[in-house]
Amino acid sequence: MSDLPPMTSVKRWLVTTNHKDVGILYITTALFFLLLGGAMALLFRVQLWEPGGLGILEPVQFNQAVSTHGLLMVFWFLSPIASGFANYLVPLQIGAKDLAFPRLNALSYWFYLFSGILFVLSFFQGQTYAGGWTLYAPLNVPMYTPAMDATAGNNAAILALTLFVMSITIGSVNFLTTIHRSRAEGLGLWNMPIFTWSWLLTVWMMLFAFAALLAALLLLSIDRLFLTQYFMTDQGSSLLWAHLFWFFGHPEVYIVFFPALGIMFETFQTFTGRRLVGRKWVIIAMVLVAVQSFLVWMHHMFLTTINLEIKTLYMATTIGISLPFDLMVFSLIYTMVKGRVRFTTPFLFSLGALVLFILGGITGVFLGAVVLDYEFRGTYWVVAHFHYVMVSGVTALVAGLYYWWPKITGKMYSEALGKLNFAVYFIGFNMLYFPMFLAWETPRRVFHYGESAQIYHQIATVGAFVLGLSFLIMFFTFAKSWISGPKAPDNPWEYSRTAEWAIPSPPPLENWDGRPSYASGRLEFVDDSPAATDGGVAHGQGTTTEASVEHEAEHADHASIWPFGIGVGTFVFFLGLSGLTPFVANFAEGTAEPPEGLDGFATQPDIMYPVLIALGMAIMAVTLFQFGREKFDAPVMNIAERWPFGGIGNTKFGIWVFLASDVIVFGAAIGAYIFMRLHMGWMDWEFDPITMAGLVNTYILLTSSFTVIIALVMAERKNKSGLLGAMGATVLLALAFMGVKAFEYTQKMGDGHYWWYSIEYSIYYVTTGLHALHVILGVLVALFMIYRIISIDAYLEDHRPVEFFGLYWHFVDIVWVLLFPLFYLM
Amino acid sequence: MANLRTYTLIYILLVALATGKFVFFEFNFAYATAIGGTILLAITKILLIAGYYQHLIEEPRAISYMMATAVFMVFLLVIAAGYSIQ
Ligand SMILES: [Cu+2]
Repeated sequence: MSDLPPMTSVKRWLVTTNHKDVGILYITTALFFLLLGGAMALLFRVQLWEPGGLGILEPVQFNQAVSTHGLLMVFWFLSPIASGFANYLVPLQIGAKDLAFPRLNALSYWFYLFSGILFVLSFFQGQTYAGGWTLYAPLNVPMYTPAMDATAGNNAAILALTLFVMSITIGSVNFLTTIHRSRAEGLGLWNMPIFTWSWLLTVWMMLFAFAALLAALLLLSIDRLFLTQYFMTDQGSSLLWAHLFWFFGHPEVYIVFFPALGIMFETFQTFTGRRLVGRKWVIIAMVLVAVQSFLVWMHHMFLTTINLEIKTLYMATTIGISLPFDLMVFSLIYTMVKGRVRFTTPFLFSLGALVLFILGGITGVFLGAVVLDYEFRGTYWVVAHFHYVMVSGVTALVAGLYYWWPKITGKMYSEALGKLNFAVYFIGFNMLYFPMFLAWETPRRVFHYGESAQIYHQIATVGAFVLGLSFLIMFFTFAKSWISGPKAPDNPWEYSRTAEWAIPSPPPLENWDGRPSYASGRLEFVDDSPAATDGGVAHGQGTTTEASVEHEAEHADHASIWPFGIGVGTFVFFLGLSGLTPFVANFAEGTAEPPEGLDGFATQPDIMYPVLIALGMAIMAVTLFQFGREKFDAPVMNIAERWPFGGIGNTKFGIWVFLASDVIVFGAAIGAYIFMRLHMGWMDWEFDPITMAGLVNTYILLTSSFTVIIALVMAERKNKSGLLGAMGATVLLALAFMGVKAFEYTQKMGDGHYWWYSIEYSIYYVTTGLHALHVILGVLVALFMIYRIISIDAYLEDHRPVEFFGLYWHFVDIVWVLLFPLFYLM
Repeated sequence: MANLRTYTLIYILLVALATGKFVFFEFNFAYATAIGGTILLAITKILLIAGYYQHLIEEPRAISYMMATAVFMVFLLVIAAGYSIQ
């Protein structure tokens, strides 16, 4: 599968793993979701034409339009389009040939696309989610809201989001590995282009923040599909959701905004012809914001029952986070003042973004004050504020589209049309969002408001259509350029300073002719053919050199169909899951202790869904197996800057990064237990564990960790039967662990203690179940490895995969080290 | 990488520590003592597994910092959320 078909072939786009192709896929798909989210917005803006609604939407349809508009824009448009830019440009800016794991990159994209398709399908499965993009509990569970019955569509929307987050996690691991380990020689972190800097910090935030959201979504999905109680109790459930969601949600603001900021910095430099003023301080400020972003989440909870001390503390941290932003804003302004500005379309959009961001930032300070928030919360002030911030980000992203369009397509666009686009966009934007400040007393997510606000809402609705029109102009401008635009030179911008402008537009498949290097202080292309170097030259600190330079350029794969296949399988599986609830409800009804409040479930079981689950699992089994077997040579960089992660292989580093995110997923799940137990009163927790089962399983799992380490020793000694024996023992121990688990669960259910019985039992089943799922996944990988050892004598020459498997397995063991005391002793 | 002897010793140690947690709760220790002791035992176990079985002590220090950051995030979330409802 190493040959890549031409760009005109559909097959090319299904099999490609090349970062530039994937970038284009991301950008176009994200633009599609922008249109969809925009259409939703136009729908409810029309409904808002007069107080009480114009009547074009039923109330629940209005709620769906509002909720899906938010979800589509925040998740399926904003991050993915930035991800598209990053896919295309970050490897170019750092002098890499591709991302560290090209097939995983393709997989991220397919997970993203299929999550979007699943979300779109949710509209056609009864109704889609209507509880607001923040998915607040208990609106997010079916129990209290008959209108939001657990229809498959509601579930599908939540599951789509879960799949989307999986895509983000894979992407973050990939980018972190790439940026930390594939920078061209001489490109230290400080000298990295500023867009790449903004993206590096974005993916670090993504890694931790989205892991918390993944945990929240997993718990929510299980609540919806299996009727557990996490978000259904009147004892702390809604606070639990708010904590988990906003621990993700505030960093998410910067996750969305940082790439836009990076584009602003990049374009300000290029079109003022000046290096960013205080560049080093700007980077420090961005790092500070990334860190601080995790310290402010409770400012979204000022109207909940959390105590006043913590509200005050979070008010202080919130004010603190605005300080680094001031520095960035001043840096942009001084760069403009000191440089000679060229008012091209990308610069206009970036400048517009800056103006809008300043307004959005200032109006946000009001919301950060506890006392003012009592007044403003849940009003159009909030809506106006965060649209000024988020859509200011969109403005900069449009700047990015214009800025890199010539590079990506090789065509120039019409500046006149671009400027017209900006004018219409800027007018539409302010017509749409500014009146919302004036109509601030309107309650959010409701189409009833005071008569006096009507004029503002009407201006806003007209503005929405003007803003929509500006995007039509944008698409027209790009289409015209695509069809009949003049050819773009390598570098159409006089003062651009990053590496992507040093190569043809569009760049060739392999990006570079020679090896890009900054060792001399400026970009050069080095000829690494064996005649030119002996490959053993010592390089600067943090540079890894390997002797096998000759092998470097030999051949690299750019195509694999299996990421697409895994995407299809996972999509079918998730679609099947969305219709599971009625089956579980029927089962629950038949038990001795059925859950209360099942009357609300009107949905009938549909046999199609279990069939889809089985089909999806079958497709996943085949495609994952083939993915694992496929020989795929990712482009390697033998000479690269890797600080601070030198001295460790790409894959091993990637696994550690993944484990770091899994620490958060499990940590959040365990945290949910601790939080709910604290809320109830630690000693009031009514749960009766089978302690001996937990103890036995502790010994079993510890022993399996020991057998995994023996497997590694055996692989190092090239002892095939020893390796087989140790891996086999690991699988058997894991099965024994699952056997004890099954015994435990059966005992509990025999007493009528099903997972819906109480919050205590919900948490017990779900947390230990999540862990058991990790064990099962580990067993599947172990079985695959045993097959490889038997069939091709795998791992005797290269024992690293055994070590990688061990890293995962020991992690699962470590989680159990915590679960045992928490669920069986305390 | 360590040798088989070290791995075996650590395994024995891990089993002993796991038993220790059980002892804390099944024999008449005060609840607070049991919890405190168990936390200490769990931390020791985790450090042993991560340090030696996952070879964290042989990897670049930055990997340990990254994992410590993740753990810190969890503590931050749980402690702040737990405190917010006191
Ligand atoms: Cu916030």
